[in-house]
This record gives sequence, structure tokens and C-alpha cells, in this order.
Amino acid sequence: MSQRNSDNAQDHTDVPSDPALRVKALESLLIEKGLVDPAALDVLVDTYENRVGPRNGAQVVARAWVDSAYKQRLLDDGTAAIAEFGFSGGQGEKLTVVENTPSVHNVIVLYLVFVLSLACIGLAANLVQVRALSLSDGD
Amino acid sequence: MNGIHDMGGMQGLGEIGYKENEPGFHEPWEVRAFALVQAVRSGGLRPYIERIPAADYLRMSYYERWYTALVARLIERGVVTRAEVERGQADPASVKATPALTPAVARELLFRTPQTEQNIELTPRFHVGDRVCGRNIHPTTHTRMPRYTRGKTGVVERDRGVFNLPDSEHVSAEPKLQHVYLIHYTAHELWGEEASVHDSLYIDMREDYLEPA
Repeated sequence: MSQRNSDNAQDHTDVPSDPALRVKALESLLIEKGLVDPAALDVLVDTYENRVGPRNGAQVVARAWVDSAYKQRLLDDGTAAIAEFGFSGGQGEKLTVVENTPSVHNVIVLYLVFVLSLACIGLAANLVQVRALSLSDGD
Repeated sequence: MNGIHDMGGMQGLGEIGYKENEPGFHEPWEVRAFALVQAVRSGGLRPYIERIPAADYLRMSYYERWYTALVARLIERGVVTRAEVERGQADPASVKATPALTPAVARELLFRTPQTEQNIELTPRFHVGDRVCGRNIHPTTHTRMPRYTRGKTGVVERDRGVFNLPDSEHVSAEPKLQHVYLIHYTAHELWGEEASVHDSLYIDMREDYLEPA
């Protein structure tokens, strides 16, 4: 009972933003029309929030720092080396890994596309907006 | 298309705001919007995102564009009506469908590695080391060729293999298979003499986008 009361209090104090309302309305509509299974939706939400993202990529990089044989495998075949961690799937079909050195700095830009290695990087929404491409000079 | 989404080289858009440990989603509705797109299995949304009028595109946040594109596609395909979207309720006469995505499939969907590279022998038009120039194409529909490569000369760095041309995917069901090449452009070539002599840009370009330099 108290749980329900506090939920109602939450509804009254936090007014959802316009996009939140519109997405909620669309979700209700698609469920009502039988186009979306709410249980499937919850699985997807859980996956995106908890099971994919840069933490996975960080594990890969950390291993490469301490294990030079792994690092070489990673540079030779990114997809296979990353799959050793069990990370695979969405947009990770053909991964090339490049190394930053004191003289070469790599910048990965997602251009006219939306995801890069869902498992390892997640959804890098901010990288989609490409501005003037200018790598820093010699530092 | 020559749309606002194709921003490479534009100026005046402000600083790219890098944030440490930025979450994938800033608001709960964002992850739900993205999950809806996957759950509905509606197909490619890029052309619909690209068609958002420029002023609206710039005003919208990233996932707002996804939501807008999803609605546009669902309406265009007759899956929902605009009135239903605005009410958030199904038309009383509508027939209940079966969901495209089940929880079981959803669980492993994102970890399935799709096979987009085609296992087919096609004679490549270009080879590593060739000098190539971006063609002066101005499609009004979806393309993966950014405007800043038109008329620019680069060198083939690598042959990526054979893939379907995404430009035609949205126009016809006929696959258009061709080689994709990693092209190396110098910063000078793309951004002018003021650009650093140390900088380079590598970009995957479809064979249809290129001609011999």
C-alpha cells in the first residue's frame, strides 16, 4: 500500500517531458495493437541498460595492456579476439582494432551510421554528430 | 540526400561535449524508444531520420529522431495511423497483430552476429594503391557517401569485401552487391591547405561512389 502511494507521489511531482509522453503513448499503442510484446521489450531494455556497453570494451583493452600475445591477436583479428570474451553480435561482425602510439592518434568517427560494436561500445549517440574533422596536430 | 545529417566539415555547430562515463541513455524514455524500434522489426530507419526537416533535426535529441523516424515509417507503411499515434490508442476497428519479436528471440537478438558480408566472387573495379575520386552524385534518397568526398581524390588502402549497397536497399528489393574499399584521404585534400599535414581520414566507400582519378 505504501509502495503504491509513493508511486503516485512520484507521478505528481515529476512531470514527464514531451518525448517521454510521446514514447509512452507509442509503446501503449503498439502493445495494444499486438505489434509489440511487452515482455520482449523489457528484455531489450534490460540488455541495453545492463549487458552491453563500454565496460565490455574496457575489459578487452585492459587485457591487451597486460597480455602482449592477446594484444597481437586483437590487432590481427579484432572480431575473433573480442569474441574470446564472449562479446559478439550487433555491428561487431568485422572489427578492426588500431593502436594509438606516441606518433599516431586514431579517432573513430561514426558517420551516417549509428552503432559500432554494440557489445563493446554500446550506443555512442554523441559520436554520430560529426563536426569539422581535424585531428590534433602532433601531440 | 544532401541533408542536414551529413555534417562533416560543417562549422558553427559548437563544441562536441565529451563527458566522462557518459551513460548510454540520458533518460528512461530513450532506452524505451530504442527498444521499441528493435521490437517492432520495422526495418531501416536511416532514410526517415535523414528526411526530418533540418530545423527540427537540429533541435531534436538523438533518440527523439529515432522516435520521429519510427512513427514516420510505421505511418507510411500503414501499420498505424497518425490519429492513433496522437491518441496513443488503437483505432477501434483495427485487428490485433502478432508481435514480431518474442522474449526468447529478444534475449539472443543482440548477440547474434549478422552476416552482411557476401560470400560471392565479384571482380573488383579497384585495387590497393589505386587513386580514386569521389563521384559527383546527388541522390535524393539515402546514401552512405558523405558530401565532403565528392570530387576528392584518395588512395585505396584496403578491399573490405563484397556487400549490398545500402543506397538501393531502400529503393528496391533488388540486391546490388559490390566491393567496399577503405579509402585514404589526406586532410589537405578534404579540408584545405590550412589542415594539418599530419592528419588523414580513412573511410569505407562503396564501389558505386568512386571513379578512377
